[in-house]
Amino acid sequence: MICSLCGYEYDETNMACHAACPMSNGCAILCCPNCGYQVVDESKSGLAKLLRRLWKIEPTKPQKPAEENTQ
Amino acid sequence: MNCHSPAVAIDPDSPIVLVGNPNVGKSAIFGALTGRYVEVSNFPGTTVEVSAGKVGGLPLIDTPGIYSLYPRSDDERVARNILLSRPPRAVVQVADARNLRRGLLLTLQLAELGHPFILDLNMTDEARARGIVIDTQRLSQIIGAEIVETVATRKEGIDALRARLDAPRPIGYRIHYDGAIESAVDSVTALLPADLPGARALALMILAGDDSILAQYGGGPDRIEAIRAIAAQTAARYDQPLNYVITQQRFKCVDCLLAQVIRVSPSNGKGWAESFGRLAVHPVWGWPILVVVLVGLYLFVGKFGAGVLVDWMESVLFDAWILPAAKSLAAFIPVPLIVDLLVGDYGLITMALSYGIAIVMPIVLTFFIAFGLLEDSGYLPRLAVMLDRPFKAMGLNGKAVLPMVLGLGCDTMATLTTRILDTRKERVMVTLLLALGVPCSAQLGVLLGMMSMLSPAAVAMWAGVVAVTMFAVGWLAARLLPGQRSDFILELPPIRMPLLGNILIKTAARLEWYLKEVLPLFLLGTFILFALDRTGMLAALERVAAPLITGGLGLPAQTTGAFIIGFLRRDYGAAGLFHMARDGLLNDTQLVISLVVVTLFVPCIANVMVMVKEHGWKTAAWTVAFIFPFAFGVGAALHVVFRALGIVF
Ligand SMILES: Nc1nc2c(ncn2[C@@H]2O[C@H](COP(=O)(O)OP(=O)(O)O)[C@@H](O)[C@H]2O)c(=O)[nH]1
Ligand SMILES: [Mg+2]
Ligand SMILES: [Zn+2]
Repeated sequence: MICSLCGYEYDETNMACHAACPMSNGCAILCCPNCGYQVVDESKSGLAKLLRRLWKIEPTKPQKPAEENTQ
Repeated sequence: MNCHSPAVAIDPDSPIVLVGNPNVGKSAIFGALTGRYVEVSNFPGTTVEVSAGKVGGLPLIDTPGIYSLYPRSDDERVARNILLSRPPRAVVQVADARNLRRGLLLTLQLAELGHPFILDLNMTDEARARGIVIDTQRLSQIIGAEIVETVATRKEGIDALRARLDAPRPIGYRIHYDGAIESAVDSVTALLPADLPGARALALMILAGDDSILAQYGGGPDRIEAIRAIAAQTAARYDQPLNYVITQQRFKCVDCLLAQVIRVSPSNGKGWAESFGRLAVHPVWGWPILVVVLVGLYLFVGKFGAGVLVDWMESVLFDAWILPAAKSLAAFIPVPLIVDLLVGDYGLITMALSYGIAIVMPIVLTFFIAFGLLEDSGYLPRLAVMLDRPFKAMGLNGKAVLPMVLGLGCDTMATLTTRILDTRKERVMVTLLLALGVPCSAQLGVLLGMMSMLSPAAVAMWAGVVAVTMFAVGWLAARLLPGQRSDFILELPPIRMPLLGNILIKTAARLEWYLKEVLPLFLLGTFILFALDRTGMLAALERVAAPLITGGLGLPAQTTGAFIIGFLRRDYGAAGLFHMARDGLLNDTQLVISLVVVTLFVPCIANVMVMVKEHGWKTAAWTVAFIFPFAFGVGAALHVVFRALGIVF
């Protein structure tokens, strides 16, 4: 995860704030350890996952090699 | 530095294992080495299965991508267990040369395992295209390991890689953690079986809280207890969990390595984007650009979101369609109380859902889209640079405020980060100011949307109140965190055309998060109002509060309800006010006063709960007991001043 504000790269799986929020178990906010900028963890959003899947199905998907074969 | 190789005899069948972060080209390397066709695509999760093949007669295994040796998914567990289950002949880490930081984080963990090792820097073509130059010779010297550069898709460097497979050696480099962690590692290692390969890595995994490793290698229950005690003692020395502390120390070490081996040549002037990026932080031209961006934000969120979209959602979707349908359906329910609860004046559908979906959702939706644009285009850090300047000029600390206001700005989490402050007094002060004045971005969006109904002078009035509180936070932070005053260093990314797909996905994730977070509170707030109304307490409250609301603030009595739900979340309160204003129940002056009051409220009930958890009941009660009277006090003062000076917006 690269922070959109300060450009610091951090490991989002290791963020301490996750467990600490009392409102929800596994709060979906990530907090940059360098500057504190907060974003929503896209990997925890079903809607984002769905869109991502739909998006990938669009023709923008990279072409696979032609000699498609099964192993 | 002593390069001790592990004292294990390598059995002839032990495999060479390919590891690395996801999407770095492991499968492509695997295909190039084995000559076997492997489907190559960057679709997430391609490598769910472990593929096995042969290279020069030796078994080769491709593993799922991992970020660290601390598994969080089944994929990661599989990869780690392959590394632990039996000593491999060699570990080949494939790393993305464009993203060496993340790659080296894993390298340093693999170093602790002590297996024979080769580092493959892949995607060097892309890295070169981005102007990234890596001094591999120097890196190889520092970490004491073989390094090969490859372009898997074009099979470049594959022969060199194959040649190195004959004589791999363990990484010589070791991270030195701080004293407490090092001595904990020593004590834990002493309790693990003697001669256990990779004991240092295992000890660190155990300290980081990996119970499965502890159970597997810890020996008898006595030893496990002893190890647990060491871990607990060490953890008690830090505010953050141990795995976080360990990772941070690793990142520090990686950053220090990177500084010595990596050079990014400035991109060779990409025309308009480059010059716009420079202008955006120019001491003079930066300001007009900032104003244009903010006005654009305001037009999009305020005029389009809060105006056009809300109009349509409210008057077409809800008023003409959903509410009549809900009412006629509810007519079939024989219990009038339930009918009222659903579609009455304070009904869950008529109020909670219609406020939440018809008013708040279009506003935060446009706000999140606008923010996604700012982030994805690379303008956001430049905005922060510009906003930080007035803070700096006044000797204040912008770093304490700006990331919060610009990000989701969840005060709940900010309250948690005040742990880094030294004294209790400081922690409480900052928590108080955060709760008081800094709206979280979703709330900022709602408030911004409401501005569209106000005259510019009224907007300036509200913005002034918010700015003063933010400067107060910056001032306090500057006094409390003197060392950090000028530490707001941003790495400015290039300006680029935002990608529609990125913005859609970001917006979807944020919207989902927001709705999950607020709709339950909206329902709860409505239910409380419903109950108060039913028991006649609402009317009583309105009467009791009348001197304050009508007398002190000059607002109609119905605003009491909006303030009550504002206790749960300020944006719900704001939505209530917005609704009243749209119905013509509040004039501009009244709207400014009520907005200022709601803005100064405690942001949400979660925030109060965190205060209780962090600072105790008494402090939380005091904070709340200060904030609400203060908020109403400021509102009343405004009312007096407006009336005395004859100010009407
Ligand atoms: N430009 C470039 N692309 C590469 C290189 N190696 C792999 N790729 C591409 O990167 C993507 C991910 O590769 P893959 O082997 O599936 O990664 P894995 O997840 O680590 O197994 C694929 O689209 C590959 O075509 C490389 O050296 N250069
Ligand atoms: Mg793969
Ligand atoms: Zn950051």
